[in-house]
Amino acid sequence: MLLKDISLKGYRNYEKAVVTFSKNINVFLGENAQGKTNMMESIYVLAMARSHRTANDKELIGWEQDFAKVSGNVITEKTSYPLEIVLSKKGKKARLNHLEQKKLSTYIGHLNVILFAPEDLALVKGSPSVRRKFLDMEMGQMSAIYLYHLVEYQKILKQRNVYLKQNRKNKKIDKTYLSILNEQLAAEGAEVLAERFSFVKRLEKWAQPIHADISQEKEELILDYASSITLQSKKDKDMIMKNLLEHYEKNERREMEQGTTLTGPHRDDIKFFVNGKNVQTYGSQGQQRTTALSVKLAEIELMKEMTGEYPVLLLDDVLSELDDDRQTHLLKSIQDKVQTFLTTTSLDGVKKELLHDPRIFTVINGQIEMESE
Amino acid sequence: MHYPEPIAQLMESYMKLPGIGEKTAARLAFYTVNMQEEDVTRFAKSLISVKRDLQYCSICGNMTQNDPCDICEDKNRDQSVILVVEHTKDVISMEKMQDYKGLYHVLHGVLSPIEGTGPEDINIPVLIKRLQKDEVKEVIIATNATAEGEATAMYLSRLIKPSGIKVTRLAHGLSVGSDIEYADEVTLLKAVEGRREM
Ligand SMILES: Nc1ncnc2c1ncn2[C@@H]1O[C@H](COP(=O)(O)OP(=O)(O)OP(=O)(O)O)[C@@H](O)[C@H]1O
Ligand SMILES: [Mg+2]
Ligand SMILES: [Zn+2]
Repeated sequence: MLLKDISLKGYRNYEKAVVTFSKNINVFLGENAQGKTNMMESIYVLAMARSHRTANDKELIGWEQDFAKVSGNVITEKTSYPLEIVLSKKGKKARLNHLEQKKLSTYIGHLNVILFAPEDLALVKGSPSVRRKFLDMEMGQMSAIYLYHLVEYQKILKQRNVYLKQNRKNKKIDKTYLSILNEQLAAEGAEVLAERFSFVKRLEKWAQPIHADISQEKEELILDYASSITLQSKKDKDMIMKNLLEHYEKNERREMEQGTTLTGPHRDDIKFFVNGKNVQTYGSQGQQRTTALSVKLAEIELMKEMTGEYPVLLLDDVLSELDDDRQTHLLKSIQDKVQTFLTTTSLDGVKKELLHDPRIFTVINGQIEMESE
Repeated sequence: MHYPEPIAQLMESYMKLPGIGEKTAARLAFYTVNMQEEDVTRFAKSLISVKRDLQYCSICGNMTQNDPCDICEDKNRDQSVILVVEHTKDVISMEKMQDYKGLYHVLHGVLSPIEGTGPEDINIPVLIKRLQKDEVKEVIIATNATAEGEATAMYLSRLIKPSGIKVTRLAHGLSVGSDIEYADEVTLLKAVEGRREM
């Protein structure tokens, strides 16, 4: 999958920009605070209809502007189509093939991206919510059905939590209605759980050899989807649903007291183990970094396996952060198969011989220009 | 900006309508100033009449000029079937189809704790009372295919079923997450045909 070009209007510090990309490596080169990450972010926004940096869409609109527009053309093995996101104070519009998509689940998935930024170390070090968000973002791109179930789950969860709080406000809880909410939540929860469980298994399958390779066969990586739902095979949706319902029943009094749902996919986590030890607690900086890198690289392959297309790779400020071995590994594994965008303040410290036919763009204060080759 | 008082008051009224902010309200207000006297009078009259002459039917909850409404009063309609909908506008969609000959019940919403709507806050108690005395044999639930619409349907089904009345769900033909309001007549017809027991 390729992003052929992008055009920005009123986006962050870009008043207007039109850029045509290389199908191999694109480098955004520039000093600090010039708009490299902004350019990268706009690609992410085109793909996911939201930013990776902020949940507030309004921040993306240029300070002097009423609206921001990001549009671009995607080329896949079979076809090509334009995508467009328009953000205004009133909200956002997503267009696929010039047609507005009312549901984001029908829009997302037409440009698959994987972003790797220094913050991604948080994937290993950060709180469980970081990892849940990681799962949801990546899986949502690959499966509209997952996204649909996830959105329904979150909606029903919110309803249930508000309803549970009634108890504290001394309004009585209608048991019939609560049991209906339980059934609805468990049904969607089972879908989400089963999908996540199998995703993590498949991710592990790809991440293991990569991690072994980067660590020169010294380390074995294991990924574990950690859930309050204990089951032999999490693939059986009916079993998961039954299990969730049992949890709701068991925790009913506590949940009413606390006004919140205590178990389910919204409380789950992924655990990473290197040579049997939890990397989050016991891993060195380097091991954590390798783990994050292995998982990201595994995602590229997994996405290819699931969608038939390689995603587009966005590397924000990471190349200079990686030591030579890891840099080499990263660049080798994407070479000539994955369209890549990377930002850097300087090309020193980047293994240039590994950048095949790069197209270099200089970014200065919201202006972007291709360097003559 | 400082608006002349009558304009400001009119703007305030316009802003009570959904989706109208200050800018749009100002535009509408200044537009109104330039409208024909007769059009403005008609506008004002219909605003008042909509409030004064319309009420909710005490039997089915439908919006009506007379209480009980024409549908509830029509003895030619099948008194043994009640179709439960979320809003008055759903009754209008159904009636356009001209195929359904039973009665209606309008809930005026769905169960949604987030919006503060519990079983007592929508037109459910009246429905239950209605089922106790009328000769109803079947209740068709036609709430929207959203999570809230489904939950409301399940709730009604569990409430009504013990009484032995048949409960069916209008579902087929309506796409997931869709509103009845937007469905075309053919889809609705299919939906009535394919109703299922709950
Ligand atoms: N909504 C906006 N409107 C206009 N300018 C903005 C907006 N949001 C951010 N900026 C400007 O964009 C610049 C930051 O751009 P960006 O984050 O892309 O920097 P960068 O080139 O990636 O720098 P670094 O190398 O430090 O990461 C800042 O100067 C900021 O003032
Ligand atoms: Mg940056
Ligand atoms: Zn009536």
